[in-house]
Amino acid sequence: MTRYVERFNTGERVLHWFVTMTFFTQILSGIGLFSRLFVGYFDLFGGGQGAILVHKYAGVLFLASSLLLFLNHRKEISVLDDDDRFWLSRLGGYLSRGHFEENNGKFNAGQKLFGMFMGASTVFLGITGLIIWWPLAFPRGIVQISLLIHGLIFVLFFMLVILHVYLATIGNPGTLDGMIWGRVTRLWAKKHHPKWYKERAGQEKTT
Amino acid sequence: MAESRMGFLIDTSRCIGCRSCQVACKQWNKLEADKTANKGTYENPGDLTPNLYNRIRFIEKDDGGGVKWFFLSERCVHCGDAGCMKVCPSPGALYRTNEGFVAFNKEKCIACKYCVSACPFNVPRYGADEKVSKCHLCSDRIGVGMAPACAKACPTQTLQYGPRGGLIAKSKASKKAVYGEADLSGLGVLYVLDDKPETYGLPANPAIPTSIFLWKDVVKPLGILGFWGSVAAVLFHYVTIGPKKLEGERSENGGVRHD
Repeated sequence: MTRYVERFNTGERVLHWFVTMTFFTQILSGIGLFSRLFVGYFDLFGGGQGAILVHKYAGVLFLASSLLLFLNHRKEISVLDDDDRFWLSRLGGYLSRGHFEENNGKFNAGQKLFGMFMGASTVFLGITGLIIWWPLAFPRGIVQISLLIHGLIFVLFFMLVILHVYLATIGNPGTLDGMIWGRVTRLWAKKHHPKWYKERAGQEKTT
Repeated sequence: MAESRMGFLIDTSRCIGCRSCQVACKQWNKLEADKTANKGTYENPGDLTPNLYNRIRFIEKDDGGGVKWFFLSERCVHCGDAGCMKVCPSPGALYRTNEGFVAFNKEKCIACKYCVSACPFNVPRYGADEKVSKCHLCSDRIGVGMAPACAKACPTQTLQYGPRGGLIAKSKASKKAVYGEADLSGLGVLYVLDDKPETYGLPANPAIPTSIFLWKDVVKPLGILGFWGSVAAVLFHYVTIGPKKLEGERSENGGVRHD
């Protein structure tokens, strides 16, 4: 028995980092459109028109890849069980230094909600983005609301990404290995996702 | 805005619908003609286009047997608080002239078309060149002391260019109500109307569209606050409560506390 268990296979990891790259391309190319404070970011794309061009086509890649990521995991994240509700009621034990006994499956409740939010946000960013792409083809009111929703979801999305990055790196040592190398230590799996670990261990015995 | 702000007054009660202003504008700004169709009214063209910065709107109203005609010179009204400038992400594409009007620079326009959505009067147009176009109140004439082309051509003094305060005072002295004196921090183009604004297709209380206001004045500042707030919050968490370490390293007594 090795020290490690596989958490994300190669395809899942590549897709995750593809979404990451398109997401940050969207941030860099779109931030100047969000506010004139960030007009300097246009220079990365040779000016505002270049930034808009990149934002549109990288946006299609983001929409497709992020949606695929969501669909691949939709079954694992769409149902909250009693353990998840307990996790939520204690906010995952993140607000105290005391020991927190959690009994999560492959994803804890926070990750499930994050995944569902990302899926829904991707859809809304996509729909409003396509409307903003051809603003003269839609009624003014629709375009105005789309601009508002696109900006609002971007803000919430980015704030959650900051939280996601923190929790997946320095906030929970050992977690990043799962998304880079694909494997996590048994110790990590037992602590953070005991229910999932037991399933994995059971499968190992039968094979 | 400065007291030296210039203004442009359109006294609709003087307008005879001759459309000299349309022609003069086309000529000065070297704008191509648009192909139009007869729609059973004298109004032509039926809407502002990328090649038409101003036009006379013909409004026919039943007057108990007869028809009463209203004429409105439709164009950019050069808002003091301009929605187009509020949303434009490209500095200098839309800019305020020394006289207080909103002009544009096609070379700096990045074709996002946000100004189309943000205008309370639905004025900016985009042509095949994918660049903004609208009335700039002849910024290239007034800067050197000439009247705007439309005002110069107007035979009835419907269109008057001059110090904004003076135009308002003159209208008030002749007991004419002025549209746009205070709306949107004061319009640069003021109207004297013969009827309710709605009759002319003008909004009674023009304002920047609500969703545009929420986007630029609420979501934007709160978003920037939210970004730095999130960064600060996770760093604060890291140095106060700290990470979820493995092997119960987080609590001093070996992680046996249950609460």
